[in-house]
Amino acid sequence: MSSPLANAAPLLQIEGLSVSFETPLGRVKAAQDVCFDLREGETLALVGETGCGKSVVASAIMKLLPHNASVQGRAVFAGRDLLALGEKEMARIRGSEIAIVFQNPSLALNPIMRVGEQIAEMLQVHKGVSRSRSLQMAEDMLSRLGLVKKETASMYPFQFSGGMNQRVMIATSMILSPRIIIADEPSKGLDGVLAGEVMVEMARIKDQVGASLLLITHDLLLARDISDRMAVMYCGEIVEIGKSREVFSEPLHPYTNALLSCLPERGFQPIPGSSPSMIEPPAGCKFHPRCPQKQDKCMRRPEMVQVESSGEFSGANESTGREVRCWLY
Amino acid sequence: MLAVLKAEEVGKAYESGLIFKKRHIALRGITLEMVEGKTLGLMGVSGSGKTTLGMMLAGLEKPSSGRVLFAGEDIWRLRGREFLAFRRQVQMVFQDPEGSLNPRKSIERSIHEVLGLLKIPQREWLKRTGEILEMVGLPEELLCRYPAQISGGQCQRVALGRVLLLHPRVIILDEPTSALDISVQAQILNLLKDLQQELGLAYLLISHQPEVIRFMAHETIVLERGGIS
Repeated sequence: MSSPLANAAPLLQIEGLSVSFETPLGRVKAAQDVCFDLREGETLALVGETGCGKSVVASAIMKLLPHNASVQGRAVFAGRDLLALGEKEMARIRGSEIAIVFQNPSLALNPIMRVGEQIAEMLQVHKGVSRSRSLQMAEDMLSRLGLVKKETASMYPFQFSGGMNQRVMIATSMILSPRIIIADEPSKGLDGVLAGEVMVEMARIKDQVGASLLLITHDLLLARDISDRMAVMYCGEIVEIGKSREVFSEPLHPYTNALLSCLPERGFQPIPGSSPSMIEPPAGCKFHPRCPQKQDKCMRRPEMVQVESSGEFSGANESTGREVRCWLY
Repeated sequence: MLAVLKAEEVGKAYESGLIFKKRHIALRGITLEMVEGKTLGLMGVSGSGKTTLGMMLAGLEKPSSGRVLFAGEDIWRLRGREFLAFRRQVQMVFQDPEGSLNPRKSIERSIHEVLGLLKIPQREWLKRTGEILEMVGLPEELLCRYPAQISGGQCQRVALGRVLLLHPRVIILDEPTSALDISVQAQILNLLKDLQQELGLAYLLISHQPEVIRFMAHETIVLERGGIS
């Protein structure tokens, strides 16, 4: 099945992004040579286990990393390398052009400010909209996200459940109609049904405003259901990227295959061994100590290679963008 | 099949208000049996009383009505050695693996703490620690680390190892994998199954994930508004 987004122009290009942190225990290599494109209007899911470096990539794009981080590579947005921009310029881009939804809404929201005011503040600061008009717009956005009662906007975060606060976060990120929304584990802490509802609503509003969504999640089923493409990360590296349905039904990298085998419908088959240290990661392919198909050459680092899609996923006039980092291909 | 732990018409109510007392019924008329070598699944939406029931079965909360029976005896009538034996043999593993361990104690000290409480001679500690690490699939180099320095799945394995040192007959597992990644969840669930087969443990598995219950449980009960639906 061909996607209308397959040949869309890249809006954000991440090129060779590497992030490391100096810590008392040693240098943590949190992301290594990460490369991907986020196309106009698409949803790209960055999936992987906790601690594999997904959130570090998001924070690096937004330039929100702590001072002990060392960043290399480029994040090109609308012709400009975000990583080379000064703080003043970046502050203008954050929120208005690229917005981020953090994973813990209770910590991300101001506890002593009414939620309507927090959403409206974005409009007042970035667009100079009057207070009364911005509050009205905040109320409208909340009602689109299912918080329809008029008094909702005048309530405080502590009066809301986790799910309601997450919707406030989403409203805050979308109120300025940004071109890119980065959602970092937006469904974390929400129970299954609510997580699904919030994500469907988020995807709907994203389509309405015509934004692209970079979804960072460890929830594989959520990623499959709402993303166009999926990039799988392991130990700071992207090991496979492709259309979500294709990655799910025909995983190429042994890690992707092992990760999908952990899903309930595939019988909770565990991956042997444990995730490697990010301070002293294995040489070569980082998955090789746990890989059932390892060979001698896995001790050398494989490059990302393009792979032709097969069957229903191949398209005559489009780039399928299927890539994998494994010596088997 | 031998029922090790039973709940008979167990209920729990809380009172609120200083002057005008209001009674909230959290659970009412719950009857269930836990059998050696079997897993009883307990499902229900948030706030349906799953954890409260688990705490009452573990003897950490007193029921407002009904009885919890361990080996045929009402646990709230047990005294002295009998009560200690109950405490040892009915254990609970909680949802938050990091919160289950003392952040200021290394993994080795956390394990040794249990061995000390069991009055096991110090010369045997090394051997027993090694055995328990092997049972839960942890490497020895983890012993010198602190809970914040190991992963959530490893913390949950340590918590499980500490529980196993007590040779329990019943383990109440309160959402033991809901804070973990799917890959770690698969590891822990398979480990729990293997341990059950090896040691004949009875599990009460509290979860809101139907697929986890389907994978683990021999029988399932669903709580709804404080009762079994």
